[in-house]
Amino acid sequence: MLAGFRARVRSLWDGIRRRAAVEQDMDDEFRLHLDLRAADLVRSGLEPAEAARRARLEFGNRDHYKDEGRASRGLRRFDDLTASWLDVKLGARMLAKYPGLTLVGGLGLAVAIGLGAVTFDVAAALFSRLPLDEGDRVVAVENWDVRWNEQDRQILHDFVAWRDQLTSVRDLGAFRTIGRNLVYHGRVAEPVSVAEMTASGFTVARVPPLLGRPLVEDDEREGAPPVVVIGYDEWQARFGADPAVVGREVRLGGTAHTVVGVMPEGFAFPVNHRWWVPLRADPTDYARREGPSLFVFGRLATGATLESAQAELTAFGERAAAAFPDTHQRLRPRVVPYRLQFFDDMEGWALRVFQLVMVLLLVVVSANVAILVYARTATRQTEIAVRTALGASRRRIVGQLFVEGLVLSGASAAAGLLAVRLVYTRADAVMSMFGRAPFWIDFGVSAGTVAYASALALLGAVLVGVIPAVQATGRRVQAGLARLGAGSTLRFGRTWTALVVTQVAFSVVALPGAIAFGGMFLRHGLAQPGFAAGEFLTARLVMDRQTPPTAEVERYDRALQARYVTLQAELLRRLESEPGVSAAIMLEGVPGVEPTVRMEVEGTPADAESPDAAPVVGTRRISPDHFDVFDVPLLAGRRFHSADMGLAASVRLRDGDGDGIAEVSTGDLSGASTTVIVSQSFVEQVLGGGPALGRRVRAVRERTGEPGPWYEIVGIVSDFPPNRMEPDWIQAKVFYPMAQGEIFERLAVRVRGPAPGAFAGRLREIAAALDPSLRLTSISTLDRVLREEQLAMRLGALAIGLVMLSVLLLSAAGIYALMSFTVARRRREIGVRSALGADPRRILGSILSRALGQLAIGVVAGTGVATLLDLATKGAFTGGQAAVLLPAVAAFMVIVGLVATLGPARRGLRIPPTEALRDDA
Amino acid sequence: MADPAGVLPGTLDLLILKAVSLGRLHGYGVLLRIGQISGGALEIQQGALYPALYRLEHQGLIASEWGVSENNRRAKYYRLTAAGWRRLGEEAASWQRLVDAIARSLAATPQEV
Repeated sequence: MLAGFRARVRSLWDGIRRRAAVEQDMDDEFRLHLDLRAADLVRSGLEPAEAARRARLEFGNRDHYKDEGRASRGLRRFDDLTASWLDVKLGARMLAKYPGLTLVGGLGLAVAIGLGAVTFDVAAALFSRLPLDEGDRVVAVENWDVRWNEQDRQILHDFVAWRDQLTSVRDLGAFRTIGRNLVYHGRVAEPVSVAEMTASGFTVARVPPLLGRPLVEDDEREGAPPVVVIGYDEWQARFGADPAVVGREVRLGGTAHTVVGVMPEGFAFPVNHRWWVPLRADPTDYARREGPSLFVFGRLATGATLESAQAELTAFGERAAAAFPDTHQRLRPRVVPYRLQFFDDMEGWALRVFQLVMVLLLVVVSANVAILVYARTATRQTEIAVRTALGASRRRIVGQLFVEGLVLSGASAAAGLLAVRLVYTRADAVMSMFGRAPFWIDFGVSAGTVAYASALALLGAVLVGVIPAVQATGRRVQAGLARLGAGSTLRFGRTWTALVVTQVAFSVVALPGAIAFGGMFLRHGLAQPGFAAGEFLTARLVMDRQTPPTAEVERYDRALQARYVTLQAELLRRLESEPGVSAAIMLEGVPGVEPTVRMEVEGTPADAESPDAAPVVGTRRISPDHFDVFDVPLLAGRRFHSADMGLAASVRLRDGDGDGIAEVSTGDLSGASTTVIVSQSFVEQVLGGGPALGRRVRAVRERTGEPGPWYEIVGIVSDFPPNRMEPDWIQAKVFYPMAQGEIFERLAVRVRGPAPGAFAGRLREIAAALDPSLRLTSISTLDRVLREEQLAMRLGALAIGLVMLSVLLLSAAGIYALMSFTVARRRREIGVRSALGADPRRILGSILSRALGQLAIGVVAGTGVATLLDLATKGAFTGGQAAVLLPAVAAFMVIVGLVATLGPARRGLRIPPTEALRDDA
Repeated sequence: MADPAGVLPGTLDLLILKAVSLGRLHGYGVLLRIGQISGGALEIQQGALYPALYRLEHQGLIASEWGVSENNRRAKYYRLTAAGWRRLGEEAASWQRLVDAIARSLAATPQEV
């Protein structure tokens, strides 16, 4: 059995490898046979020439037996394959010969395959193995809050208990990320992101340091000297790869740390970190579910599995819930593969479904391209019939058409991958604005991506090439030979026709909305802020905050707030005394992106039944000099002065990422202000243009559910920012005066001179000189901050435009295909009618009637659906422009359809009358 | 002598195996040997011999090697492999059973029915 198999493989392999030699061997063998036979015949008395003739006759057709011989060796399939190289060349020629199909079909396939490749990369990046020794045994342990359905990360108590008691997870450790200003030998302070991590993190990662030592448990002790381990990149970039860096001192925020080790290149555990300090957290300082927010990790013990570890944790969780029902009743501890803790509940299947959707998209696009290819195949029916007559098998012809499809889809896949690569390099720049990617994510066009895209291309080729080919080479084809040139015998079946009609209808449904939204995106994407945003340098101002023990939180935060308020005021003062600065101000947020609330005006009949009917306005708390700094003209009334500012009463510090305060959220403003300034749009939209000064407004519903207090309008300013840069910006605004003691996180500095960005370094210097625990992050001009959103909108407009273009092109292509079919099928009839002297216009009409019929059905159905959708969404579907857009789109679609019919129609009219005669001959 | 009979479909392989089992042969030799052992009663379409040879070789029942023919030309010689011997035994037995069965059938008389 095995021997037989070996013999088969060997003979097939010989046949493939030594193709020419095998051919030669057969020739030799046959010739020897003929010579020996002829010699025998001569011996029996025949003339040599006659003998040779007889021998050949007896032998039979040599080529035939050679062919059979090849088949006996299983070489036939291989022959088909090699013949395919010709098909590839033919396919490439077809691309050039039908540029329309190549462009339309190729574009569609490239987009679909490119999108498919991206989803593959995302999946691959998210679900790749952790690049650590036995990385699949590294796990995360988390407390799942079943009420909010999210991780509870204030788990210091549980962490310590797990570490002491769990047997199935070893080396349990924890970390959190904090931001700190890095200061060393006189350089300007720069914020860095630091991992506060237990020493066990280095044990779990199993990566030894390049220099010095990692963190050890002793470093975690209270009172141990502060130490830091640094990453390879930082060592290279900031310390010039100095081997004597170990033992040097750097300051992180207010604390001096000794460098004790350097980690090797690429090491970024736990996520994307390059600075590591020991995590010092004593559970006795904090109440349960209080304290720092932590991520907990460990390694499965030998013999343990995720399931056994989960069983142990579940039992642990049940005991904790029983012992501490107040805090732990709704907590379910669970163990998950390490990287999954960062994606919360995003399960793999969601991504798989998305991937499947992308494959379906490819199928839909391919089906469209298949229509076109089918139409082209119809025009090539003569060629197919002739080839069949010359002995090509159906399989062979289908194979050829498949290869042609493969050439198209392969070229598209290459183009798609190239585009994806370009996008990735762009995306890298965008991603780096948000920080480095986690160390296990390696995003890029990998060999796997290429393989996946190739598989997609293959699928596309099957759909694009094989299905039309199988249909086109059906039984009827043979009849085609008999009627060479008489016209196509292929039918444009009901399914194809329905597809074309649906497509036209879909275009008509989708276009109005796409035009409305794409236009809106484009309008806002290109809008200018309308004020001197380029002159402002802006940054987030954050102050380091230790996580205070539970008992001391209130006292600590009160002191911190007081200090922070003083520091902010001092920072603004110092900045304004800089020669290059004309103004410095703290903002509640970036202008234009305001929180909204529903407002009512005193004296207007409020609809108590439906407070949701009240107008939505943007609200902003501002400092008294806000409008001066931004040059916002006052139209009536007065500005705020300090008497308008209330006093921030009960405060709660908001913990940025568990590492610092960004701002104070103001609770109850007792004795707060009673005045507001409104924008011009507010007067127009909410007050109907009537008198404003002296009238009172209030929020319909505060967070408590009760109406807010009344505020008196004391001033009117022109809209700020003057232009809407995003569709959801609301220009009707109410400005409140900020309270004394209130802290905002966004600093804006108006810089004199042409390059405000150049002031960034000086800004850091001033802040760090004031206090090293004041951190400035995301320094940028206000103009750039405002335009960040615009990029997304422009891309959105571009995406909508591209999708619509494809939809339109594919509809047009469908109509074109339909027309080509009609012309090809009725070639002879048209010829006869021309010969009989029929009016070309009537011939044209009869050719066009079917395609135009389908077009009309599609347009009417589409317009109907669009109208219904528009009515159902109260105009939102077309952005309220149904009256203009719907007829315009319908007309446009008719024009596109007519243009698509032009080519085939002209071909039809050019059919010479002799056509009819020739066929009848 | 009666005209030589054509080879029954499916029996060519058996005949080739038998011919080759009697000694190493080149293609024409196989043809002659079959003619010889059948007493000239079987006629083979000469060219058809070769696809059959290649098929048997492909199946590992015969093996080939290049040698020199009696007229001093390059010739491919075939011999039976172990698998070929086994197959020849099986096929010969099964053929014998078929022949017996047919002979019995043809010899049947009305009384036996």
